[in-house]
Amino acid sequence: MSGEDCDGMDRGDNDGPKSDKMFTLKKWNAVAMWSWDVECDTCAICRVQVMDACLRCQGESKKDSYGKQDCVVVWGECNHSFHFCCMSLWVKQNNRCPLCQQEWSIQRMGK
Amino acid sequence: MLKEKGQITFEDKWPSMRPIVLKLLKQETVTQTEWQDLFGAVHSVCLWDERGPYKLRDSLQQDITMYIKQAQVRVLAQREDQALLKAYIAEWGKFFTQCNYLPTPFRQLENSINSISKVTSSNTSSSQKKNNNNNIEDSLVRKLMLDSWNQSIFVDIKERLQDSAMKLVQAERNGESFDSQLVIGVRESYVNLCSNTIDKLQIYRENFEAAYMQATEEFYKLKASEHLLANGVQSYMKYADQRLKEEEARAHRYLEPGSGSVAALTQCCERVLIGEHLPTLLAESATLIKAGETEKLQLMFRLLDRVPEGVVPILRDLEAHIVSAGLADMVASADIITTDSEKYVERLLDLFRKFSMLVKDAFLDDPRFLTARDKAYKCVVNDTTVFKLELPSSTLARGSKGTAPESKCPELLANYCDMLLRKTPLSKRLTSEQIEIRLRDVLLVLKYIENKDVFMRYHKVHLTRRLILDSSADSEKEEDMVEWLREVGMPADYVNKLARMFQDVKVSEDLNTQFRADTTRHDAINIKILNAGAWARGSERVTVSLPLELEDYIPEVEEFYKKKHSGRKLQWYHHMSNGTITFANSVGRFDLDVTTFQMAVLFAWNQRPMEKISYENLRLATELPDPELRRTLWSLVAFPKLKRQLLCYDPLIQNPKDFVQNTIFWVNQEFALIKNGKPQRRGKINLIGRLQLSTERSQIEDNHSIVQLRILRTQEAIIKILKMRKRITNTALQSELVEILKNMFLPSKKMIKEQLEWLIEHKYMRRDDEDINTFIYMA
Ligand SMILES: [Zn+2]
Ligand SMILES: [Zn+2]
Ligand SMILES: [Zn+2]
Repeated sequence: MSGEDCDGMDRGDNDGPKSDKMFTLKKWNAVAMWSWDVECDTCAICRVQVMDACLRCQGESKKDSYGKQDCVVVWGECNHSFHFCCMSLWVKQNNRCPLCQQEWSIQRMGK
Repeated sequence: MLKEKGQITFEDKWPSMRPIVLKLLKQETVTQTEWQDLFGAVHSVCLWDERGPYKLRDSLQQDITMYIKQAQVRVLAQREDQALLKAYIAEWGKFFTQCNYLPTPFRQLENSINSISKVTSSNTSSSQKKNNNNNIEDSLVRKLMLDSWNQSIFVDIKERLQDSAMKLVQAERNGESFDSQLVIGVRESYVNLCSNTIDKLQIYRENFEAAYMQATEEFYKLKASEHLLANGVQSYMKYADQRLKEEEARAHRYLEPGSGSVAALTQCCERVLIGEHLPTLLAESATLIKAGETEKLQLMFRLLDRVPEGVVPILRDLEAHIVSAGLADMVASADIITTDSEKYVERLLDLFRKFSMLVKDAFLDDPRFLTARDKAYKCVVNDTTVFKLELPSSTLARGSKGTAPESKCPELLANYCDMLLRKTPLSKRLTSEQIEIRLRDVLLVLKYIENKDVFMRYHKVHLTRRLILDSSADSEKEEDMVEWLREVGMPADYVNKLARMFQDVKVSEDLNTQFRADTTRHDAINIKILNAGAWARGSERVTVSLPLELEDYIPEVEEFYKKKHSGRKLQWYHHMSNGTITFANSVGRFDLDVTTFQMAVLFAWNQRPMEKISYENLRLATELPDPELRRTLWSLVAFPKLKRQLLCYDPLIQNPKDFVQNTIFWVNQEFALIKNGKPQRRGKINLIGRLQLSTERSQIEDNHSIVQLRILRTQEAIIKILKMRKRITNTALQSELVEILKNMFLPSKKMIKEQLEWLIEHKYMRRDDEDINTFIYMA
């Protein structure tokens, strides 16, 4: 069945142009889950899963119950990833990747 | 010592002084002149006669003693108790009045004697000197008078006085009346008699108070036992209560105020009336509690609370009653409550209200009784007699060798909560306020649940279902509930996740709007793209071969999402997705709300509407795993609400497990919705039922993961405690552990032990060499 047939049915509610199909799609509620595209689930700095906000952000969201989605992930050139919050604090002391000791430089940021 | 001419001696003066002294003692009238002469004479004797002061004092004592002896004769002439007391009080009254007059003319005498003793005894402290000079109460002559009274009359007749006074009190206890002033008078004489300046109540306490106590004790020792034996506990309690009040009032009348006597007497009465009959009284407590005799219990509580440890056995009885009555109630209605979450929770709440009422009416919400109620109610809530949740005993779980069965309460409570928050007949029937009250009730019961983690798991599953299917009755209430869960102390990471889910749904709505604006022909699709961490940690995805109608959307959505976000990957959760399809047959056209799996099965007929398709071919077409396909097909051939099913099949079976490879299925061309016995040509039906959020296997894994999560949390908590304490005894560790974990679950002794062993084995900690019950942290 093609998408166009489907369209016809959708607009035609009940007595629209009759489809020759027995079953026609009217509405589909599709569910997907997103996660950070990382090799390691856990942030090596704060030991929290990268999908969760880092420890600091979790502490703050205790007050603000709808934890903002600010706590994103950052990837280094070495392809290791961490919470951006955690890494920003880390580089102030040591500008190397905590996992591979390469000099830290940001490859990309999660959004 | 020289004797000079013209010197005034005691012997000269005394003859003229004595008549005045005697008059004063007898309370006869003394003229102004006589009074002043006495002052002068005392002065002269003290000034001129070196031995004068002592002679004066001795003579004075002789006369006082003589006077007292006469008074004693007058008192003892009375045979009858009241008369004796009356005479004594009268004599004492006169004498005591004189104690305030007679010393005055003899001030000079006191000064002289004191200054002599000051010379001879340099130890006398200055404060004593001052007192002796100024205060009538400390006057030497007064002391002489009181001591004489004490030694000459009181010692001789105090037994008779006390006996008489106590007889009167006894008579009053037996209902006779008399002049209470007599007893009060005697008491006052005891109090005033004392010349001991440090302990003014000494004579009173050692004699009057002691006698009063003894008499009281003896009276009730006898009477209480008699009454108890003759009338039984319940009547006795009223008697004792009344008597205690009476005795307290009496003690206020007859005992010296501010002396602590009243409290001592009350304590004495409590001991004799209650303490000594404690076992007999307590024997009734369980029966009264069982019968709900709140008034009698209140009386018992009031009485027994007066003696140390008196209520402790009642607390135990109350606890035992709540546990046994609560469980009996549960067992009696087991049939209903095991299948009906609403009835179960209502039942639990009814019991709670019943027991709370009992505690309020019988024990006035005394904190000790509230604690007993809580303890016992917890047993009822967490009991496993009626039904239990079997958590897996797994050898896989590290360090665990299995778990004990747990109450199903958390699961049923979560179900009930779902019924209130979802669009259900129940939630439609109730007003918003009523729903709120019931949700608060849920939180109340939750407080008593030991394993809150189980509740949290089910609650989250239900919430997921409501949000995915958009079936919440009231989204505001949903979010309120999250905050209430936070307020009652559910773990923050859990509550944050729930809050995150609401946030996600809102984000998804915005995303959906943008997606629709982005393209033109997508009215049919609605996307929810959710945070895997909050929604689906550890949950298993099920693969399905989507019908082309659906498949087409996937790349477009993914493309769109990639433009919006970066660094993210998407996974489709088709077992959660669902939709509406239109079904047209010879009868009419029907809108069906279906799961994506049901859609995948039904769309298989689109190419061959009239064909019969085998189970095996449907499996090939949908690529659904066997258990999911069976479950999906069963929902299409045997949907409980339908009179005419959507699919027909052959051969017929009773259980989805019995579908075989060549079971054949075909679309029911006669399908129609039946209303009032008539087939309808149009209509809408929801075939989703309970959206299966997890596969059968993952349900087992879910239970498994609860156990594993508990193990992990226990280990974390042990390490946390040890890090802080460095070394800790086993007992202290256990109680700290329970405190840390109480909002999640109650760790069993067995599990704690296993985890301690595991942590020791893996060198996180060690036992103390000296004491194997002390643990030491190893960094
Ligand atoms: Zn981190
Ligand atoms: Zn953060
Ligand atoms: Zn690296």
